[in-house]
Amino acid sequence: MTTTIRQTVPPSISFLALGVAGLICAPLMYIVYLALSADSAVWSRLWNTRIPELLFNTVSLAVSVSAGTFALGVSLAWLVVRYSFPGRQVWEWALVLPLAMPTYVLAYVYTYLLGAGGPVEQLWQTWTGPEGRVFSPYSYAGATLVMTLDTFPFVYLLTRAALLNFNLSYEEVARVCGASRQRTMLKVTLPLIRPAIVAGLSLVILYVASDFGAVSLLRFQTFTYAVYQQITGRYDQAAAGVLSLLLVLFALIFLVTERWFRERSRFYQTTGRYRAPARKPCGPLGTGLITLYMVVVFGLAFGLPALLLIHWSGSAVAEGAVDARFLGFVWNSVFLSGLAATFALLVGSPLAYLASRWPSRLNVLCLQAAYAGYVLPGPVGALALLVLFSHLAPFWYGTAVVLIVAYIVHFLPAGLQTMEPALQQVTPNLEEAARSLGLGPVRTFRETTLPLVRGGFIAAWVLMFLLSMKELPATLLLRPVGFDTLAVRVWLEASEEYYKLAAPSALLIVIMTLPALLLLVSKDWRAA
Amino acid sequence: MRPIGADQKTAAQAGGVSSDEGTRPMVLELRKVTCAYEVGRAAISEVSFSVREGEILCLLGPSGCGKTTTLRVIAGFEPVVEGEVYLEGHLASAPGVLLPTERRRVGMVFQEYALFPHLRVVENIAFGLRDLPSVQRETQVHAMLAMTGLTGLERRYPHELSGGQQQRVALARALVQKPVVLLLDEPFSNLDPDMTRKMREDLHDLLRRTKTTAILVTHDHEEAFALADRVAVLNNGCLEQFDTPEAIYHTPSTPFVADFVGQADFIPGIVENGKVVTEIGEFPNQVGYHGGARVVVMIRPDDVHIAPLANGATRILARQFRGSENLYTIGLPSGQVVHSSEVSTSVYPVGTPVELQVIATHIVLFEQDRVRPPDR
Repeated sequence: MTTTIRQTVPPSISFLALGVAGLICAPLMYIVYLALSADSAVWSRLWNTRIPELLFNTVSLAVSVSAGTFALGVSLAWLVVRYSFPGRQVWEWALVLPLAMPTYVLAYVYTYLLGAGGPVEQLWQTWTGPEGRVFSPYSYAGATLVMTLDTFPFVYLLTRAALLNFNLSYEEVARVCGASRQRTMLKVTLPLIRPAIVAGLSLVILYVASDFGAVSLLRFQTFTYAVYQQITGRYDQAAAGVLSLLLVLFALIFLVTERWFRERSRFYQTTGRYRAPARKPCGPLGTGLITLYMVVVFGLAFGLPALLLIHWSGSAVAEGAVDARFLGFVWNSVFLSGLAATFALLVGSPLAYLASRWPSRLNVLCLQAAYAGYVLPGPVGALALLVLFSHLAPFWYGTAVVLIVAYIVHFLPAGLQTMEPALQQVTPNLEEAARSLGLGPVRTFRETTLPLVRGGFIAAWVLMFLLSMKELPATLLLRPVGFDTLAVRVWLEASEEYYKLAAPSALLIVIMTLPALLLLVSKDWRAA
Repeated sequence: MRPIGADQKTAAQAGGVSSDEGTRPMVLELRKVTCAYEVGRAAISEVSFSVREGEILCLLGPSGCGKTTTLRVIAGFEPVVEGEVYLEGHLASAPGVLLPTERRRVGMVFQEYALFPHLRVVENIAFGLRDLPSVQRETQVHAMLAMTGLTGLERRYPHELSGGQQQRVALARALVQKPVVLLLDEPFSNLDPDMTRKMREDLHDLLRRTKTTAILVTHDHEEAFALADRVAVLNNGCLEQFDTPEAIYHTPSTPFVADFVGQADFIPGIVENGKVVTEIGEFPNQVGYHGGARVVVMIRPDDVHIAPLANGATRILARQFRGSENLYTIGLPSGQVVHSSEVSTSVYPVGTPVELQVIATHIVLFEQDRVRPPDR
């Protein structure tokens, strides 16, 4: 990469970076164009029929899931950091596992559990008689439950990290000033870890706004689901474009607000001399209550669904569901995700490299542009690429190429976030030191730069591979005919309520996601 | 066993403690306090001392000696394993007894100040006054702002203040509650060295004006000497000496104290005919060691003077210019090294043969095997 140090950027890399940034921005631009060029009749029709309901549903789901994840995430993090009880370390780690469940997998398990004639209803009816009804999973409550259980680890992880890094002197000062434990918590600790909680909640809200899997299986009308329906059911690309633009605006407004809030509270740095948090030992009653709470949350979010998947997979395998066709789906998933992750790494590294080494305005802008994929929920990005390719490159339309481009656009931001810190570790000074010790440019790269960035790049590849493998809406919309992946199979079988048939694919996705989850979480572990 | 200096009594009386010392009430008392973070490994053991009203006490020692632990025991952050802590005559800590911090009425200034970053200066200072009616609270906060010279900075956030201002806010926050005793954990360690002298004077003045009883932790003996009425020197969790600054400096009770509170040389000698005979002269045997005992004499550089000679085996090995003084390192014929402090204008080249004159007002003797070679 660097043959000379601190010289001008090789123009070829610059052009490549510009090209990649353009490619990634194109879908976003196109959505804006599509929506603005739509006939005003489309706008007024949507405004009168769909938009108020969709807006209300999306916002209220975001609000209720935020409230739920706040309560679960903060309380669990507090218990795990501030108290000592048997099994604490196991729970500390286990509470992250729900992140390994894609929303459509959890939603499909809950359609079975809570559905008419399902086990929860049967249990309920033994108490209340045959007329007893539990709430339907196909509702606002159902969507809230599933999304909360799936996303509370975001809040949990960030709150936990903030509590672990919390400078205990603040609490001690409050006590010296005569404040009780409760007042200290409310007036000092919670306000000081608020930025971390807000960061976790904003991840949750973006996740909810862009989720397709759960809301589509639970038939809850939000923007993403509506966009999908406009494309597949009504073949109305203009209407889909309008709804997409609104969703993108929603995400953008939210991101800008969140950024503003973070800027404003930047001085809330609570680092200081590190001291291990004093964990309060629990008596038998406390231990019992805490353990019960953890068992219920973990059981609902991961344990019970995982057991069901294993059970169903067992009977599906016994019935011969794992055949050559199933292996074909596995191969399709691995092949597509592998290609997407590799290409994303190839196009992403010049961007990250340029922005960290030559942070000129243009280079930083290119990098920022690559983050555009963040505000493009799956169905929206898919819609843009669908129309773009059918106009500009019809010979690729309906091939795996479109799908791979969709994955790159969608998941490059996550990969870049992992790559950037790795590249920033390599300061020019290190390379200069290597050169001053008599190493040539090639050996400098091989022995200095490469070992330092390797870990970050491998992590980025693994992350993008797994995100691609779990991806549902873009795959549904863009896959070549008959080219199903594991995620698509889960969704198709689950939509038809073939619970057993969906299980092996779902279980495989969960199992493959686990190591990567641990990899990502272990970084957070080391920081703490 | 305790070595006695020449005139320890007079040194103690010459200290800054005023004559009504005996009549002022005891505010804090530690009785044989032992505190351990892990079982069997005491962070402090059997530490006893007491503080009278209005007194400023310094806990002095190297890092890890247990001085901050002592402070945290007094504040009620750490339980004691043995011994008792009394605050205003009431039992505050004992094995199984731990009065909660918020009910001890102690004030504390942390090393990094720990100002609440989400609260303004006034809100920080008023944090502990929530039980007062708001008018009274405001009056007290403003009086404290004026006293600490913070008027005009009320609406600022901590990150908008300089290090010195932050320290004053931390002080104001602690003092506004009229604490029984104010605890200060290395209050100057986060400040620019240029500022510390001025801040030290201001702090001393403020504590005297508010008649605050204070305990200050530091590793800097100059700071301890400048501020304290009495100094407690801690080492490895044990109290080595508890005395006035003058007594600590001139008549240290252990070699550790001698070495820690200033430059000291330890010259070996043997007791003969009631005198201590050393390479640089004879000294009175005040402690009454028996004849033939191997002892060391502690000498400070300001007690040693040099005069150049034409010839001799005692030579200058090095000179360190320190502004107000020249510190000479002198090599004796035996290889033993002594230091001498001379005025900054007397400059002799390295290698000059010299004659030593030891004018020691305070002679301190230790048994030889108690002295470890000094670290520096």
